[in-house]
Amino acid sequence: MIKHHPSDETLFRYANGSLEPGPSIVVAVHVGGCAACCSRIGEYEAVGGSLLHDIEPEPVETGALDRVMAVIDVNEAGRGAAAPRHRLPRADIGIRLPQVLDDCGIGPWRWIGPGVRWSRVTLPDDDSANVMLLKVTAGRRLPEHTHVGLEYTHVLKGAFHDARGRYGPGDLDEADDDVQHQPIVEEDGECICIAAVEGRTKLRGFFGRLIQPLFGG
Amino acid sequence: MNASGHYFIADKAILAFDPAKTGLAMTVRADQELLSPLEASRLLMAVAAKRDRAAFAVLFDFYAPRLKAFLRRSGMTASVAEDVAQETMLLVWKKASYFDPARAGASTWIFTIARNARIDRLRRDGRSAAITEAFDPSDVPDDPVSGEQMIIAAEREERVRTAIAQLPPEQADILKKSFFGEETQSEIAYTSGIPLGTVKSRVRLALGRLRQILDDLK
Repeated sequence: MIKHHPSDETLFRYANGSLEPGPSIVVAVHVGGCAACCSRIGEYEAVGGSLLHDIEPEPVETGALDRVMAVIDVNEAGRGAAAPRHRLPRADIGIRLPQVLDDCGIGPWRWIGPGVRWSRVTLPDDDSANVMLLKVTAGRRLPEHTHVGLEYTHVLKGAFHDARGRYGPGDLDEADDDVQHQPIVEEDGECICIAAVEGRTKLRGFFGRLIQPLFGG
Repeated sequence: MNASGHYFIADKAILAFDPAKTGLAMTVRADQELLSPLEASRLLMAVAAKRDRAAFAVLFDFYAPRLKAFLRRSGMTASVAEDVAQETMLLVWKKASYFDPARAGASTWIFTIARNARIDRLRRDGRSAAITEAFDPSDVPDDPVSGEQMIIAAEREERVRTAIAQLPPEQADILKKSFFGEETQSEIAYTSGIPLGTVKSRVRLALGRLRQILDDLK
């Protein structure tokens, strides 16, 4: 049962295309398993459709249709196999990842502290986005911390809790700098999350602070 | 009754239409201002089913100028907007078979194609980019769709249009501005003279109000 969802504003930004790539992929993982958010995004996309439908049209160049048809003719005539897509390296990290991540590169688990490992997620079209998988052993308490900017953490496996509640598989924690917390992973098993931060500057939040030295911040 | 309700009454008469069998495009090519969501869906299906160029031409006439205007409002120059609008229409042709009229109205689907084309363009130009193609609902192939499912999806699009029309003008304005990203929130705050925190909560309020209206319309 999913209890924690992205905010409406985040879903709105996802739908209009203004959410950054890193947070977008984390939200996409959540949406892939959350019918409610999927339908909400459908509505916000329909806002886009509606604005498109009702906008005052602006004339396109004369002959635009002919040009597009000419390209179509060329394409249809030479229908061949598309260039094979460059595959990013994927380490076997011992967990079945959501399909949404199929095109992403996955790094091997790396140790960053007692009971905490991380793996870098590389987006197919944007290798500068800060996205990572985190694996924390059962019962571990993470240092108390706040956030700089919005941080998105989606639970893939296991659960953690803090003063705000319990976050289990399918839950997405959207934490901003108002949040100060000390998450504790539950006793009955490790917790694996995918996380991203807004912006490309500093990683100082939930898990980010642990990882920042690795990014040379 | 608003214009949207009107569409559906008028369209019920031709619901039995099978896009694979008829040369529909020639019959509906009339006033480009009056392309109803259901007509647009049928045209897209005709493009998918039999590469119907006449149907595509109707869609092009209606959507290309709107895409150009839409992309310009999203911050592109006229020539880039023109380019991306044409690119989007090319993708509409290529991806037509992925259009699932049970899931989204034609305008909504074409909007998502344009959104992704715009992101790709910004990325290629080395500017900030957003959504990744990894999760692209428009890429999911579809099963055969009943006329009824098609109406439901087209109605959803209509319901959202109606809901936006029912928003108080100020909230509709904030919603549009933030949707187009034509101004960042701080710019909205600056030009409207409202503190940023207030703008944020107004976006939140506008989304909440939209939600309420949508729930009432269901």
